[in-house]
Amino acid sequence: MDTNRYAELFLTESQDNLSAINHALLELERSPAAREPVGALFRAVHTVKGMSATMGYTVVAELSHELETLLDLVRRGEQPVTASLMDTLFAAADVLEQAIEMSVSGRGEDMDASGTIAALRDAAAAARGAPSPEAPAAPKPKARARGKRHAASRKPAPAEPPADDASLTIHIVQEPETPMRGVRALIAVERARTLGTVTAVTPPADTLQDDAFDGRFTLRVATAAPDDEIERVIRSAGYVAEVRIERRSARPGAPAVGEQAHPPNGNGGAPNGRPTPLSAGRASELAPARQHRHVRIDLHRLDTLMNLIGELVITRGRLQQLALTINDAALTDAVTQASRLVADLQDGIMTSRMVPVWQVFDRFPRVVRDAARALGKQVDFVIDGQEIELDRSLLDEIGDPIVHLLRNAIDHGLETAEARTHAGKSPTGRLSLTAARDRSAVVIRVTDDGKGIDRDRVLARAQELGLMESGKSELSDDELIRLIARPGFSTARQVTDISGRGVGIDAVHARVRALGGTVDIRSTKGQGTSVTVRLPVTLAIVRALLARVGDETYAIPMTHVNETVHLERDTVRQVKGRDVLVLRDDVLPLLHLRDVVRLPKRDARGGQVVVLEVADRRAGMVVDELTGQQEIVIKPFDSVKDGLSVFSGATILGNGVPALILDVSSLL
Amino acid sequence: MSHTVLICDDAIFMRTMVGDILQQAGFEIVGEAETGVQAVEKYRQLRPDLVTMDIVMPDMGGIDAVREITKFDPQAKVLMCSAMGQQALVVEAIQAGAKDFVVKPFQPSRVLEAVQRVLG
Repeated sequence: MDTNRYAELFLTESQDNLSAINHALLELERSPAAREPVGALFRAVHTVKGMSATMGYTVVAELSHELETLLDLVRRGEQPVTASLMDTLFAAADVLEQAIEMSVSGRGEDMDASGTIAALRDAAAAARGAPSPEAPAAPKPKARARGKRHAASRKPAPAEPPADDASLTIHIVQEPETPMRGVRALIAVERARTLGTVTAVTPPADTLQDDAFDGRFTLRVATAAPDDEIERVIRSAGYVAEVRIERRSARPGAPAVGEQAHPPNGNGGAPNGRPTPLSAGRASELAPARQHRHVRIDLHRLDTLMNLIGELVITRGRLQQLALTINDAALTDAVTQASRLVADLQDGIMTSRMVPVWQVFDRFPRVVRDAARALGKQVDFVIDGQEIELDRSLLDEIGDPIVHLLRNAIDHGLETAEARTHAGKSPTGRLSLTAARDRSAVVIRVTDDGKGIDRDRVLARAQELGLMESGKSELSDDELIRLIARPGFSTARQVTDISGRGVGIDAVHARVRALGGTVDIRSTKGQGTSVTVRLPVTLAIVRALLARVGDETYAIPMTHVNETVHLERDTVRQVKGRDVLVLRDDVLPLLHLRDVVRLPKRDARGGQVVVLEVADRRAGMVVDELTGQQEIVIKPFDSVKDGLSVFSGATILGNGVPALILDVSSLL
Repeated sequence: MSHTVLICDDAIFMRTMVGDILQQAGFEIVGEAETGVQAVEKYRQLRPDLVTMDIVMPDMGGIDAVREITKFDPQAKVLMCSAMGQQALVVEAIQAGAKDFVVKPFQPSRVLEAVQRVLG
């Protein structure tokens, strides 16, 4: 079968199931006595097993099979939920995920899961209290003698077959590759019942059901049906290679071969190790909650649409300019209408790219659990705002930085239980991750109630590096973030050793900035730290203010533009030799775009000021002229090697001229 | 007229695959169910000629669904979809009224043979 076209479907659905597995594992760890998580786990693993076997992903199928076996023991209460079991299960879930990814990318052969498989087998064997998984456990009579499952064996044939003239023996041989040959044989038994009374089955039903026979079996049936009818009915059971009917009357007195009825075992004794049927209605709140009526679309297709709409937006800009020049009423009308349609289309495409953040946040409880366990800390982790939506590509990008922040919080923020108790806090640290929509931005916040950043040490370090005046004795939040976000500052050894965070904040900062977002830190000594990441809802297209200096036009994303004012002589003052802007009651630092792009200064008179805003920081920036607003399509740069660049990308304007996009957060 | 089929499986992957196999063989897929409860409901509504039924499903498993369906319609033709290791469950399903079974991984020819046997 051509399984390639199913690979994508397999991957997405497996990921859903992996997510369900991880959730259920966490749930099980929290409440080891609960039944629901085990049921959810079993179901998810079982689904993965079925799918992977169909795809021919042997290693995935094997792993999930062993997992399933172990989970079955848990479900039946033969394996208690212990810490070591949880470790085994968590580790197996990770390997399973890896195996799935490797298999889908065609490298399933390279995957070595033998260690995990052995661990699962050992755990299962230990639970059964037997040295090897194959060894049968003590029989449990009547344990599962339910329903009519063993009807044939519980209706034992008398030692002597009844002297019924119509009684005949049917010898059946199955096809060599019959799957579940025993069950198939039992279907033949069921079919034979439609002919008359089945008085004996050899080997007995139990042996059949366990596939413990070679594909040959015999039925004794009391029926008046003709041979061809009997043969047709038996063959309808499927996988029947040969049917031979032996009529008693043909060889009177001769004992039929192998038809000796086995002594009834009375209890219908199901051998151990057989899966118990799932009881109905054990629906878990975990797994099925995420069933949606959705169409799955390859992200590349959406990217293509996004690029096309980007080009269309640029073309619209040109059309609008042309229409303005030509100034023909009918043309202007048509262009206006087309513009509106383009805007709607853009909106629609943007919306189709939006996905709820839980798609990425989903794996975080597991990340937190592992980190907390590794560091020996107690953490109560809550996620809020899972339904907030973000552009898919942004969401993919933001995952790693958030993991970084969470790990940082557990490692450097939250204290050990003893330290917390000593400080008069509850021994379990609180860590929260929230997402919220704020105008055209999504705000993601990681908050811990740990010990906070040690400002004194950051300050000392900054002074040592000459980044702060030596007389300074206190750091504001703004100064703090600017310091620890400096490339190299936080990775210096002296600082990674300090009690505060710092490690990798610069990496997070750089990543978020590249996405057009900002990072903000609030920290109170002894009470905790909160890191806020602000991201645009979507990447590619933003509204921008166009500013000219000299002959060049630069784009300033509107998300960071607070207002624009005319530059008046008396609103500019000098403080400590620097220009500041007096804006109503505020005094803001004043930048000159000419300085930023290294154009010669000129008389600022007649210029305009753009008031920029990032987080709580504001500044004015003088430009020669503001030429308008436009939707711009961001074409990202190759990453700049030397760290901070003042540009975040480039775009093509309506008139076809390229323009650089200012990275406002790097200016403030 | 082509035979109508109701596909019951909690995995989209499996529903798609079974659906493709049957559709290519000329069957008409009239419905899909993700849970046992849905399967029973849809059977009552649609009265399909054939039902393919996964064993392990949330919200009432396949076996209980077969039981409910055959209680409602003793002539219902249900084909169980099972996996290796589920012998006991398949037997239970057969005794609950399922007519035949296929074992994952599915091979189209095997699935179609089983369907033919069920529709007899």
